[in-house]
Amino acid sequence: MVTHAAPTEERRRHLLDVAGLDWRSLQKLLASAGEMQQLLDSPAGGSDALRGVGVTTLFYEPSTRTRISFETAAAALGARVTTFNVATSSVGKGESLIDTVRTLEALRNQVIVLRHERAGAPWLAARHFGGSMVNAGDGWHAHPTQALLDLSVLSRRLGDSDGSLAGRRIAIVGDLLHSRVVRSNLHTLTAAGATVLLTGPASLTTGFAEHAASFRDTPGSAQLVGSIDEALSDADAVMALRIQRERLTPGELDSLEAYRAAWGLTESRLAALAPRALVLHPGPMNEGVEIDPDVADGPRSLVLEQVRAGVPMRMAVLAQVVSEARAHD
Amino acid sequence: MTDLLTMNLADHWVVDSVAELAGVASVSIVEGQIVSVTWRDGADAARARWAAGANPGAGDPTVALLPALIDLHAHFRQPGSNASEEVETGARAAAHGGYGTVALMPNTEPAADNVETLRATIAGERHGVRLLSIAAATVGRAGAQVTDVAALVAAGAVAISDDGSPIGDRGVFRAALLAAAAAGIPLIEHCEEPTLTAGGEAADGLVASRLGLRPWPAAGELRAVESAITVLRDVVTSAPTARLHLTHLSTAAALATVRAAQGAGLPLSCDVTPHHIALTDGWIAGDRRWAWEVAPGDERLNPTGDAFDSNLRVCPPLRGTGDAAACRAALRDGTALAIGTDHAPHSREKKEMEFGLAANGIVGIETSLSLALAAHHAGELSLATVVSSLTTGPARLLGVLQEGLAQGAAASFVQIDLAASWRPSRETLRGRSINTPLLGRELPGVVQMTVLEGRPVYQG
Repeated sequence: MVTHAAPTEERRRHLLDVAGLDWRSLQKLLASAGEMQQLLDSPAGGSDALRGVGVTTLFYEPSTRTRISFETAAAALGARVTTFNVATSSVGKGESLIDTVRTLEALRNQVIVLRHERAGAPWLAARHFGGSMVNAGDGWHAHPTQALLDLSVLSRRLGDSDGSLAGRRIAIVGDLLHSRVVRSNLHTLTAAGATVLLTGPASLTTGFAEHAASFRDTPGSAQLVGSIDEALSDADAVMALRIQRERLTPGELDSLEAYRAAWGLTESRLAALAPRALVLHPGPMNEGVEIDPDVADGPRSLVLEQVRAGVPMRMAVLAQVVSEARAHD
Repeated sequence: MTDLLTMNLADHWVVDSVAELAGVASVSIVEGQIVSVTWRDGADAARARWAAGANPGAGDPTVALLPALIDLHAHFRQPGSNASEEVETGARAAAHGGYGTVALMPNTEPAADNVETLRATIAGERHGVRLLSIAAATVGRAGAQVTDVAALVAAGAVAISDDGSPIGDRGVFRAALLAAAAAGIPLIEHCEEPTLTAGGEAADGLVASRLGLRPWPAAGELRAVESAITVLRDVVTSAPTARLHLTHLSTAAALATVRAAQGAGLPLSCDVTPHHIALTDGWIAGDRRWAWEVAPGDERLNPTGDAFDSNLRVCPPLRGTGDAAACRAALRDGTALAIGTDHAPHSREKKEMEFGLAANGIVGIETSLSLALAAHHAGELSLATVVSSLTTGPARLLGVLQEGLAQGAAASFVQIDLAASWRPSRETLRGRSINTPLLGRELPGVVQMTVLEGRPVYQG
C-alpha cells in the first residue's frame, strides 16, 4: 500500500464531503455557524478572519443561491472574492479542470469553491490544488454545505438540548436518483440520529432501498418506503426535492401534473398526514409541482430560513478549511 | 555470436501447463533449446502435483518457471494514438509482464478491417514478443458489413472482433459468426447492450448509488450474452465449426449463462480480466482491499481522498465482491478459459480528468500475472488455474501451438520469483502509459526473465 502522509489532516484542509463526519464534527460546525451568525448580526457585520485569503467560486453549473451565499460568506470574513465565469473563460477553449485549478492556484487563490456536473470532480481538483477545495455540489453525488445548512435549520427547530435529532422523523420526497441533496442529507441526518424516510416514484428511486439500508451503522437510520403516505405519517419535517427537468431522461416521469398528484407537497396532504411537519426545499422550487405555493410560502415553510442559514454555515466551512490549511502548512 | 540462451536452471518450481506437470525440476537450455528437464521426484509425482493444483509447498523453491504467457486481448494503439502506446512499447510491456505472445485487438485508428491496416498493427520493432492480429469483424467496426474474413485470415488474423463495441445488428452478428466459422477462426464478442449501458459510469449497485455515478446495469452484459448465445445456437445447426468467444465478462449472471450454454454443448468460451477478478467497485470510493478481502455488506463506502480515480474507469465496469468471486469461480471450473488483460493504454490527456469524462480502460499486461498471483496467494486460485488461464487457455482459443517445458522444445518460458514483490510506477512499468489504479501498490511476483523461442525478450 502507498502510505500518504497524514491523510486525515490532509483531507480536513478541504471540504469535499459530509460522508464520514460524525456527530461531534457536525456539532462543531453547527456551533461555529452559530458564532458566525452572531458576527453577521453584530454592528461590524463580519470579521477579517480571512483577510488576504483568495477565494474563487468556480461553477461549471448554473447556480444562484449557493454561489452568492458562498461569496457573501467569504466577503463577510474579509476574503478576496473572485467569481470565475466558466462561460466566458478558457474552459470554452477546452481548458481542463486540472489546468484551471492550477491557474487559480498560481493566481494566489487559497480556496476554490467548486460546483461541477460530474460526480467526484472536487476530488480530482483537490489532488491538483495546494489550497483548500470546497465542494459546492458535484453531479448527483454530494452537496455538503446544503446538507450542513439543512442540519442547522432542523437542529435549531427540532433538536434536543445538544441539537441532536434522535427520535425525529424526517421525510425526503421526490427525485432521489439525481439528487446530490438527498445523498448528502442522508449522511448528516443519520449522523444526527434522525430516522430518515425516503420516497418517490420508482423510476427516480432506483437503488435507494439498498442505499438507505447502508446507513445502518449510524446513530439514526434510513429507509425507502413505497408511498408518500407512509413517509409523511407522523413526520417532524418533510423535504421536497426539486424535479430536475434538465437531468431527466425520457420515461422517468409521466407528467408534472401526475407527479404533483402523486408526490407533491400539498397543504391538504400535509394536514392529513403530518399536521405538525415543517417543510424544507433546497431550491430552486418548481412551485405547483413538487411543492404547492401555499406550502412553500406558508407558516410551516423553512425555505427562506434555509437560504438564510447558508451564509453563516458557509462562513463556518470557509473558516474551518483555511484554519486547517494554516495549521498544516 | 548468438543471442540464443544457454543456461542451467537448477531446482525451480516448474509448472508445465502443456504437459500438465508440476514440481521441483532442473531445466537445461542449450542454444535456445531445452535439452533436459529433470523432475526431482519423478514424472509421476509431477503429474500428481499438477492434479493437486501445482501449488508449491513450504520448503519448495519460490522461483518458478512457467510457459511464456499468452494474452488474447490487448490494445497497442498502432496505427492511431501512439501518445498512448505503440507496438514497440507495448511489446516491451508485455515481455516485462511475462508474456511471449500477444493478440492485438483491431480497434486501432483506422480499424484493422483490411489486410494493409492489419499488417500495420503489428509492424515495427517488437523486442522478440510474438504478436498476433485480431481483425475487425465489420468494416470500420461500424457493425453494418462483415469484413473480408478469408483475406484477413490469409494475412494472419487469428480471430475477428469489433471489440470496444458489440456488433449490434443481430443479422450482421450472425453473418460474422458464419464468416469466422468458414475461415476456421473464432468470433470474439464484446458483450454490452448499449441501449441499457449508455452513459454508465460505474456498475449498478450500492457504490454507484452512494457515489452518485450513473449506473451501468449488469443486465446490459447479460442481455448481450443471452442474445449472442441465441444466435450461436441457431448458427451451429448449419455451421458446426462456428466458435464464439465472449471477452471480458464481469457479472455472475452472464458467467452462469455461459456455463449453462457450455453444458448444453455449444462451442462457446469466455475470458475474464485481471482487474475483474481482483478489484471491486469499492476502489472507486478509495477502498484498496482485494476483492476477496471484502465480505458482502462490508464495503467501505465513504469516499477517501483517493476516491474517483479515473484509472478505475473501465468497460465493463468494476463490480462488487460477489461478481469478482464469480469471475474467479469461472476460472476455477473452466467456464472462463483465460485471463485476458484488456490492456488499454491511454495518455494522460484522455485519462487525467473527471471520472465520468475519462476514457474507459486501464493498462494490465504488466500486472496481470501479479494480480492472478495475489489471488493465488490468498488461496483463491490454484497455481495450475493461474498458469492455465494465462497459457494453454488462450492458446486453445487462438490456435497457438505450445510446446511447454518439454525436452527438445524451443525454450519459451517466464522465470518469476513468486515470493518477491514490486510496485508499479513510471520507473518500473515499461509501457508508454501508466493508467493503472495499482501505482505504488505492492504486488506479488517479480518476473526475472521472459524467453520466447530460445531468446530472452525481458531480463530483470
